[in-house]
Amino acid sequence: MSKHDSTTDDSTTAGPTPETTGKTGAIDINDLTKIYDPEGEHVVAVQDMDLSVGAEEFVALLGPSGCGKSTVLECIAGYLDPTDGEVLVDGNRVSKPDPKRGVVFQENRLFPWKTIKENVEFGPRMHDSIEEGRAESILDEMGLDGFEEAYPSGLSGGMQQRAELARLLANDPDIMLMDEPFSALDALTKEIMQKKLLEVWERDNRTVLFITHDVEEAILLADRVVVMTARPGQVKDVIDVDIERPRDPEVVTTDRFTELRERALSVIREEAERALEQEDGA
Amino acid sequence: MSASTIDQIQRRFEGDTVPLPGKRVRQVLSIVLFFVLWAALVRFGILGFDKFVGPETTLVALVESLAGAPMTEGGETLYEHAAFSAYRVVVAVLIAMGIAIPLGLTIGTSRRWEDALFPALEVFRPVPPVAWVPIALLLMPTFRSGVIFVVFIGAFFPILVNTIEGVKTVEEEYVQAAASLGAESRDIFRHVIIPATLPSIITGVSLGVGLAWITVVAAEMIAGGVGIGYIIFQAYRLLQTEVVAVGMIAIGVLGYASAAAVHRTGHYLTRWEETE
Amino acid sequence: MDSRRRLVRVGSILSVPILWFVASRFGLLAGLPAPVEVVDTYVAELYRDDFWISTIRSTIRVLASFVIAAVIAIPLGLLIGRYTVFADLTFPALEMLRPIPPIAWIPFTILVLPAAELSIMFITFLGAFFPILLNTIQGARGVEVEYSRAAQSLGADSYQTFRHVIYPSALPAIHAGMIVGMGLAWVNLIAAEMVAGGTGLGFLTWSAYTSGSYPTIIVGIITIGILGAASSMLVRMIGHWQVDWATEQPA
Ligand SMILES: Nc1ncnc2c1ncn2[C@@H]1O[C@H](COP(=O)(O)OP(=O)(O)O)[C@@H](O)[C@H]1O
Ligand SMILES: [Mg+2]
Repeated sequence: MSKHDSTTDDSTTAGPTPETTGKTGAIDINDLTKIYDPEGEHVVAVQDMDLSVGAEEFVALLGPSGCGKSTVLECIAGYLDPTDGEVLVDGNRVSKPDPKRGVVFQENRLFPWKTIKENVEFGPRMHDSIEEGRAESILDEMGLDGFEEAYPSGLSGGMQQRAELARLLANDPDIMLMDEPFSALDALTKEIMQKKLLEVWERDNRTVLFITHDVEEAILLADRVVVMTARPGQVKDVIDVDIERPRDPEVVTTDRFTELRERALSVIREEAERALEQEDGA
Repeated sequence: MSASTIDQIQRRFEGDTVPLPGKRVRQVLSIVLFFVLWAALVRFGILGFDKFVGPETTLVALVESLAGAPMTEGGETLYEHAAFSAYRVVVAVLIAMGIAIPLGLTIGTSRRWEDALFPALEVFRPVPPVAWVPIALLLMPTFRSGVIFVVFIGAFFPILVNTIEGVKTVEEEYVQAAASLGAESRDIFRHVIIPATLPSIITGVSLGVGLAWITVVAAEMIAGGVGIGYIIFQAYRLLQTEVVAVGMIAIGVLGYASAAAVHRTGHYLTRWEETE
Repeated sequence: MDSRRRLVRVGSILSVPILWFVASRFGLLAGLPAPVEVVDTYVAELYRDDFWISTIRSTIRVLASFVIAAVIAIPLGLLIGRYTVFADLTFPALEMLRPIPPIAWIPFTILVLPAAELSIMFITFLGAFFPILLNTIQGARGVEVEYSRAAQSLGADSYQTFRHVIYPSALPAIHAGMIVGMGLAWVNLIAAEMVAGGTGLGFLTWSAYTSGSYPTIIVGIITIGILGAASSMLVRMIGHWQVDWATEQPA
C-alpha cells in the first residue's frame, strides 16, 4: 500500500481496484481524447484511446514521433485534462499530479538550484518522511555516491538521468511514467540505464509505462509493447513479450527477440510512413 | 577601418610577427594612456581642459581628503559625504527590495493581482526617478527622507520588472515535476518559483543599485545639503576643481564597490548555475 | 485577453487619477496639487511657447545623444568583443570611468565644453553609452565560434561573416542595451537640465518648484513620462526592424 493520501476523486469506480487484486498501480485509459487548441488550430493528438495497464506490469508505448505518446503520459500524470474520456488509476479518476505517479522525462527536470541529495530528498520532504541515510543509499545504488553535494549542472547527461531516477525511487511511487527517458543518452550509457531500470523494477514491483520510439528497447524492457497509430493516436497493436525474466541486454541476440522485433517493426513502419505523409501535407 | 584590415592586423598579432606586450601589460598600458591623455589635455588646454585639474593635482587633493581634511572650507570630510550618500543608497535599495520583490512575485504568479496592480504601476515607470525630486521635496517632511524617496523610486522599478519577468519565465516543467513529487502550491512557491526567479531578481537589484547611485548624485546636486553629489557641485561653484575630481573618483569607487558586492552575493546565491 | 480582464486593467490605470483626486480632496498628501488644477495648468501650458520649446529641446537632446551613443558604442563594442588586443588596450580605461554616474560629470563638462548645450548632451550621451557598449560586448562575445567557423567554411569573407553571423547574433543583446540606454538617457537628461538650468523639461519642472507654481511640476512630470514611454516604444520598433534586416537572406 502506498503511504500517500489519495487525491483522486472516488466517485467513479471501474476497472480493477486494489480491493479486487490486492495490488496498486493499475491504469485504465477509457476513450481518451485530447485536442490541443480546440478553437484555433484544433490538433487532435489522441482520439478515443483505450488501454489498460495492470498493477505492477511493465508496458512500453511505442509509436512514431508526434503520434501523441507524451500527450497520453501527461494525461496519466495529471498535467493535462483530457478533452474527452478519462484516465483511472486504481479505479479513481485522475485530476491532478500525485506523488503516487512519478514521472521521468527525456530532458532532465532535476531542480538546478538544489544539490543532488536535496533533489532526491525533495519528495520525502514534501510529506515529512525523510529517512536518514535513505537518499545516500539510493544514490549509491544508482552509482552516484560522492555526488550528493554536487549540483545537477556539474553532472553528465547519464548521471543526471540516474539522479532523476533516484529522485523518483526515493518517493516510492506506485507507477513510474517514463517519457523516452534514455533516448538522449549514448548507446553504452543507455544500456547501463536499461539494466538498472530492470533491476529496480524486478525487485520493487511497480507499474511502469515506458514511452520510447526504439523498438529494441521496448521489447527488451516490457511485458507488453503497445504500438500506437500515427496522429490522432490510438492503439494499433499490442505485442506480448514472452521472453523470460530476469532479462539483460544480451537477449537482443536471441531468435525470439528477432521475431518480435520484426513483428513490431512491420506494424510501426506503416504508421511511421503515414506520419511522414501527414507532415508533408501539413 | 574595415573588418578585413582589422582581421589582418589581428592575425599578424596572433602570429607574433609583431612583438606584442603581454595581456597584463596591455591592460596597464590602457590605464596609463588614459592618465597621460588626461594630463596632456589639461597641459595643452585642449577644449576647456585648462579650466580643469590634471591627474597630479587631483592625486594631491585625493590624498589630503583621504587623510581627513574637510573637502570645502569648514565643511564635511570625504568620509562624511560618502557615508551620507552610501547610507541613502543602502536604505533606499533595501526598502525597494523589501517592496518590489514580494510585489513582483505576487504579480508574476497571480493574473488577478497582475491585472489589478501592474497597469497602475506601469503608469509611473516611464518617469525618470530624478523628475520626482520636486514632488519629493514638496511632500516629504524632511529633506533627507525626500532624497531617500527619490532614490527608492530609482531602485524600485528595475527590481520589480525583473522579478516579474523572472517569475513568468519559470519553466512549467519544474512546477510539474514538483507537483508529481507531492508538492503543494506553497511548496512549489518556496522550492521552485523563488529559487528559479533568483537570478532575475539579482539582475534587477544590480540594475537598481546602479540607478540608485545616479539618482542619489542627481538629487544631492539639485537639492543640496550633504553627500558626494552635493560636494561635487558645491566644489564647482567654489571653483575648487580638484575637489570636483576627488568627488568623481569617490563616487566611482563607491559605485564600483557596491556593484561588486551585489555581484559577489548574487554569484554565491546562484552558485548552482552553470559556469563556463 | 477577455473583456473582463481588460476592464480590470483599465480600472487599475484609472485608479491612479482617482486615488490622486481622493487624496488631494481630503488633504491626505498635503502640498500635492489637485488633479483639476493640473489639468487647467496643462491646458494653459499647451498655449505657451516656453512649454513647447522645452519639450522639443529635451526630445532633440535625447534623440541626438542616443543616436551618437549607439553609433559609437555598437562598433566599439563589437571590436572589443571580438578582438582581445583591442579590448585590452581600451576596456580597462573605460571600465574605470563606467562606475561614475553620468550626472556626476556635469561640473566637468560645464568647465571643459564650450557650450551648456553640449554639456547636457554629453551627460545624456554617457547615460546611453555604457549600457549599449556593455551589451554589445557581451553579445559579440556570445557568438558561438562554431557559427563563424561554419560561415568561413562556406566561403564567407570577414565582412560577410560579420554582417551575416556576428552582427545578427549579437543583435538581441545590442537591442536590450539600447532599451536600457534610452531609459538612462532620459534619467540623466532630466538631471542635467535640472542642474545646469536653461531650457528643457527638467529645467521647467525644477523651476516650477523653485517659483512655487506647483501644478506645473506635475505637468512636467507627465510630459516627461509620455515622451519617455514614446521613446522606449521607438527603440523597440527599431529593434524589430533591425532584427528583420539582420536576418534577411543575403541578396
Ligand atoms: N501544447 C500543444 N499545442 C498544440 N499542439 C501540441 C501541443 N503539444 C503537442 N502537440 C501536438 O500534438 C501531437 C502529439 O504530440 P506528442 O504527444 O508530444 O507526441 P509524441 O510524444 O508521440 O512525439 C503532435 O502533433 C504535437 O505537435
Ligand atoms: Mg514525446
